Amino acid sequence: MTTLTDAGRDGAAREIERPRLTWRQRLSRADVKYSPYVYVAPFFVLFALVGLFPLLYTFVVSLNDWDLLKGQGDWVGFDNYVTELQDPWFWNSIGNTFSIFVLSAVPQLIAATFIAAVLDQNLRAKTFWRLSVLLPYVVTPAAVALIFSSIFSEDYGLVNNLLGSLGLDPVLWKHDTLPGHLAIATMVNWRWTGYNALILLAAMQAVPRDVYESAALDGAGAFRRFFSITLPSIRPTFIFVLITATIGGLQIFTEPKLFDATNATPGGAYHQYETTTLYIWNMAFNQDRFGRAAAIAFLLLLIIVAIGLVNYVLSKGIASSEVKVARDRTRRRLERHRDRQLAGAVASTSAPTSAPTSGEPRS
Amino acid sequence: MRLSRRLTATAALATASAVVLAGCSTGGDTGSSDEPITLTITTFGTMGLDDLYAQYEADHPNITIKATNIDTGGNALTDWKTKQASGGLPDIQAVEEGWLGSVMEVSDTFTDLRDYGADDIKDRWVDWKVAQATDPNGRIIGYGTDIGPEGLCYNGKLFEAAGLPSDRDSVAELFGGTDATWDKFFEVGEQYHAATGKAFYDQSGFVWNAFVNQQPEGYYKKDGSLNVEGNDTLKNFWLQLADAQSKGLSANSAQWDWGKGQSFVDGTFATFMCPGWMLGVVKGNTEAGGGDASTGWDFADVFPGGYANWGGSFLTVPSTSAHPKEAAELAAWLTDTQQEVAAFQAAGTFPSVKAAQTDPGVTGQSDLTAFFNDAPVGEILGSRASGVTAQFKGPDDALIQEQVFGPARTALDAGTADGETTWNQAIDLLHQLVG
Repeated sequence: MTTLTDAGRDGAAREIERPRLTWRQRLSRADVKYSPYVYVAPFFVLFALVGLFPLLYTFVVSLNDWDLLKGQGDWVGFDNYVTELQDPWFWNSIGNTFSIFVLSAVPQLIAATFIAAVLDQNLRAKTFWRLSVLLPYVVTPAAVALIFSSIFSEDYGLVNNLLGSLGLDPVLWKHDTLPGHLAIATMVNWRWTGYNALILLAAMQAVPRDVYESAALDGAGAFRRFFSITLPSIRPTFIFVLITATIGGLQIFTEPKLFDATNATPGGAYHQYETTTLYIWNMAFNQDRFGRAAAIAFLLLLIIVAIGLVNYVLSKGIASSEVKVARDRTRRRLERHRDRQLAGAVASTSAPTSAPTSGEPRS
Repeated sequence: MRLSRRLTATAALATASAVVLAGCSTGGDTGSSDEPITLTITTFGTMGLDDLYAQYEADHPNITIKATNIDTGGNALTDWKTKQASGGLPDIQAVEEGWLGSVMEVSDTFTDLRDYGADDIKDRWVDWKVAQATDPNGRIIGYGTDIGPEGLCYNGKLFEAAGLPSDRDSVAELFGGTDATWDKFFEVGEQYHAATGKAFYDQSGFVWNAFVNQQPEGYYKKDGSLNVEGNDTLKNFWLQLADAQSKGLSANSAQWDWGKGQSFVDGTFATFMCPGWMLGVVKGNTEAGGGDASTGWDFADVFPGGYANWGGSFLTVPSTSAHPKEAAELAAWLTDTQQEVAAFQAAGTFPSVKAAQTDPGVTGQSDLTAFFNDAPVGEILGSRASGVTAQFKGPDDALIQEQVFGPARTALDAGTADGETTWNQAIDLLHQLVG
């Protein structure tokens, strides 16, 4: 009760300073205060429905011995997680995922950077070339997978025919592990290189041209300009491209699923290119083990979060080192300036009272 | 004033539409026979039903059929499981014998067709087909479409080139006629390989399927327990397959792909395991590979190891169907004599209905007989069906077939490991996947 009276008194005290608000004023005040939340609400409501709820539901499923056809079974706690962490097929899928990720992301980003650099030059029919590199991105992944599956067919495929005409042995793209990973990485690269190139190109366009001009005047060649100006300037965009490529790379599904579509085992006869997302699908829809599939989905989530954190730390490190470099440079310049002033002062008064204190080497 | 008038108008409109809606729903409840009904049906592979839908629609003007056909049985199984778990099942769902075990696990989610007259028509099918579709509580949940009696497809031209007899009767005789054994099959294969240097069959998977399906008990015993580990009959045949592979009898083709049909045309292999429905697959693939009747494929009334059945399907009505009565009627019609004859002529799916098996439409000429060097395929399949008995299919039959023996078979055909190793590999997979 005391607090209420206190508050009342407090309110009364304020009322003396400010006149009582009309209904309309209060409404407009509420508008300013609460409307923004209403405006952002649709996203959060939608997210709660299609993002958060499935996430939590998956977690509940993962704690049960849930069968696809028969529904919820017994409560098993974290048993599904323990089983999966001990299952060699789980680790097989993790290995495949990372192998395909590395085989696709690394060449893809290197190629994208160089394509972007070429497109950044003064070409004729600029728009034509820029649109051309985006063309593979327009094709649906299923169609890409079917076409590449045919190209990499072991008996009648284009690639093996070419190898044969060169007198080389055919490669077992669909039965051997590394060739399979390479073939799938090729599909991923074909689809995403142009897309990444365009994003990097946009970043390159933002680099001031006069920097290049003065570098050229100072005698820097094309390669020197690329490595010393272009690359450092597009670093933030590059980090963005790297992160999106990582997230996409850990969720590759369509390409390995359709690479050997007639095979009964998803991800190759020996699961040799079964990625983790494909493993989840197989567990849920071929083996009917919904609970375990949900547990794998959660483990994959943890892995992606972990990689996200590593990315965050790395990019933060790069960003702060950039700031540090700039700060050091400013400090050095200031010190140099101060030194010169000091030296001038010393010369004029010829009284060497204080030596430069900084131990910073000059550069 | 204007506002209030507009409000009144809106309210009137709302009331009117509510009345209309109510009228609609009352109409739906009475369920008059002229009420427009859309029935959805999901089939797979080549079941030969496509042309029949239009006929049914013409006879029943109020019925519209929305059909979905899925390319392979394996994909259809995934589709069914997904929808069984999450909803969206059609009014009629085609179910394959291989995954009947999974279906029986949840047989109470299917309509008991006895409520819609199954008892009156169940005599039209061969006994074992009805028995397969009956769950432990005696509920009949499916109407049989086709069965898969197996005969031997062979390429007469390749046989001739290898110096083997090439006409149907002599070929049946060559493999041992009614006493045909697998030993004899592999022996002829070795002869063929010695003469031509080419493989005898496309890959070991279908041969393995045929053998397993031939046994009185397959991957499961009749009591529902697993029958793989320590099963010497299965293991010995597996070792025999490995031996044949090492002698070059298997072409190691990609099953269900066969180089987009080219292997059927370029002489990669000379024989092929042919249940009735496979005839349509052989024809389709040969044509896709650029071949035709002159490619030389023929069909003999013989099968190694005796009578065998592979596959065959049922039409079921999931209990989620809003129109179970109409769906059951359509399913019954699609599996009636004339329709099964028509399906056979379209796709080679051999009827499970007794009257259809002897119908001239099945035993007579068709596109299929023309493709298979005028072989009387209907008659031959009837003969191949006569000794078939149904095998119990357990809940994980399809999984064992595809994911346990699939990888082991691939390794065996690739020649990367011997019979003993690949068998042990299969047993390991069995423990991991099934338990």
